[in-house]
Amino acid sequence: MTFDTSTRPEHIQGILSSLDRYNPETVTIFQDYVQHQCDTKTYDSLANLALLKLYQFNPHLTRDETITNILVKALTVFPSADFGLCLHLLPANTLTEPPIDPFAEAVLKLFSLSRLLEACQYKEFWITLESDDLYADLVADCVGFEELIRLRIASATVQSNREITRDLLEGWLNLTGDGFESFVKAAYGWVLEGDVVKIPLNKENEAKTTVTRENVKFDQFQRVIKRAYEQPA
Amino acid sequence: MLASQNFNGTTRHLREDSDSDDEVLASTLVEEALRDDGDYDDMDSAGGGHQISGENIQQKLAAAATPLDFQAPLQNRFDSYDNYCSLFHFILNSEGPVDLELPTVGSFSHYVDTPMGKMDATTYYWAWDAIDEFIYQFNSFCSHRNAVARKEGAGTEEERKLLSENPQTWGCYSVLNVLYSLIQRSQMNEQLAAIKKGQDPNEVAGEYGSRPLYRMLGYFSIIGLLRVHCLLGDFTLALKTLDDIELNKKAVFARVMAAHFTTYYYVGFSYMMMRRYADAIKAFSHILVYVSRTKNFQKNAQFDSVTKKNDQMYALIAICVALCPTRLDDTIHASLRDKYGEQFTKMQRGGPDALPIYERLFLSACPKFISPIPPDFDKPENNVDPSKHHLEIFMADVKNSMLAPTLKSYLKLYTTMDLKKLAAFIEVSPEVLRTQLLVYKQRSRQTRWIEGGLLEGETINTSDLDFALQGDLIHISEAKVGRRLVDWYLRNLAKTY
Repeated sequence: MTFDTSTRPEHIQGILSSLDRYNPETVTIFQDYVQHQCDTKTYDSLANLALLKLYQFNPHLTRDETITNILVKALTVFPSADFGLCLHLLPANTLTEPPIDPFAEAVLKLFSLSRLLEACQYKEFWITLESDDLYADLVADCVGFEELIRLRIASATVQSNREITRDLLEGWLNLTGDGFESFVKAAYGWVLEGDVVKIPLNKENEAKTTVTRENVKFDQFQRVIKRAYEQPA
Repeated sequence: MLASQNFNGTTRHLREDSDSDDEVLASTLVEEALRDDGDYDDMDSAGGGHQISGENIQQKLAAAATPLDFQAPLQNRFDSYDNYCSLFHFILNSEGPVDLELPTVGSFSHYVDTPMGKMDATTYYWAWDAIDEFIYQFNSFCSHRNAVARKEGAGTEEERKLLSENPQTWGCYSVLNVLYSLIQRSQMNEQLAAIKKGQDPNEVAGEYGSRPLYRMLGYFSIIGLLRVHCLLGDFTLALKTLDDIELNKKAVFARVMAAHFTTYYYVGFSYMMMRRYADAIKAFSHILVYVSRTKNFQKNAQFDSVTKKNDQMYALIAICVALCPTRLDDTIHASLRDKYGEQFTKMQRGGPDALPIYERLFLSACPKFISPIPPDFDKPENNVDPSKHHLEIFMADVKNSMLAPTLKSYLKLYTTMDLKKLAAFIEVSPEVLRTQLLVYKQRSRQTRWIEGGLLEGETINTSDLDFALQGDLIHISEAKVGRRLVDWYLRNLAKTY
């Protein structure tokens, strides 16, 4: 869940914190805001959830394209639970197989992408993404989609790895040759040595054994001490 | 204006005549929000022709807090809705705050201490019962309507006709409207914010909010909102609703067992659906420990209603612990083994066999989800049970971690291990193992609440086992907990006297 509200404009904040969030007239404002997020690589989950809620209550105002854009944006913040939280607000028949309409088909396609990302099958994610033109259409509105996903995959890599083969990482990032090399140079202080990418130690990938010692507070002795002052019965 | 459209008609045909479609309802909600306080004297009450007073109101008050029979016919449910509408309309839109002599529930005659001062217990319990029953009836009505539309089980043609002709009865917007209006009229959010800052809530309470009735209705409406949002699948907003309430033992709701219990159930459930299992476990444990400690003092009717939810919470905590292994309080752990021992063991073992158990427990323990709009009566196939929808999304996450228990049991044995060798042990390909390791890592990093609003939190490692990959070499580390000698000593000392 991303609660970074620094990019949230004041008028959106105003709607979210008042009952205007239920006013169907704000749908267009939220829709524009989704477009804005797509254009500027920003993300505001609370505003997007509010829009999905408005659609929930006013199905006739629903714009399929905006919903898929919200889902695509939610993909770019994996592994947060946002994608699932958006799905929960869609009509209950959206996820039935086989899909009931083209919109449901698009949602199911995005759901499958989300599952690949959640399952850390990054290489398969890119293969699937390129396997069908429909995917390209779906993510087209979201500026820098691939770049945003790549950054998320990179941070997952940093969490778990100290060294990783070039071959493997190329597959995960869907980059080869110069593109790969410049990405490695730019990101996180990685060093390319021959066929291996070395990742500096951080809190997540050091895997250090720790022993948590008991933390004793004086309060715990309260009863014992109190007892010492009591008269024997 | 809140009054005119959706509260005016106390008879059915009247409401049909007024154009009460969703948009109108929404705009009344919004107008209500934008409306400055005060100024209710000139409110147009022409629509609400039914003035209620005297005996009539007593009946309505008593009815509002009385559970509707589970098998009550549809007509009773419609009547009950009308009853709530006229009652809330009276409370919210009379000229100035109303004084009501409330029916006594049980034999309570004492006062209840709340952070907002002493409260007459009758008001307190009536307010909870009324809001609780209001939402319960809304919930069961919507579930029933959806089931009828799906043509599952009971539901005569007559019922179908009646339901499809009255889509606005027990509508989501009206229910939300009531809850938000009660909160606003009592200035509840302002009052709670003042309490949080250590100021006197009476200064911001206003004419309505300083009265016990409005104050308690407003307060419990916040818990009602938590519940309604959760039923609609909006778990984020559900938790956000409680921003101003402090979840501690002094909280107002803690005085009503059922309120305390309900709050934690929905908070825990929302956390679970947001995949914040550590927080969900904390919420469930808190309330389950509380119940197990107080059950000897709570042998009344209120406690009976809690028993079913109690078992549901054990099922939910079993799911959460299987997904995010955590050491539970001893009493909770014992009861969990008692109630769900076999299922719990299977879920902890993971693998495909565990999936049906997750599904069954989830369905038995989840709230009765509802669809925000009336179902499509003409095309039964378009109506899917909302619980199935939410289950499917939840299961996507569960399926993802089915190998974790096996993985963990092996990793525990080594400090370093070759990826290929481990893959051979587990009988998967090395590349599958690699992705599973990444999944394990990813899932062990959860947002956990530290302070502030319920949605806030920091990312922490919830697993006692951690690892890092150096090429194909797995470095494994364990966060060990030292022996808790002082705790052991104190506990045994306490036993001796």
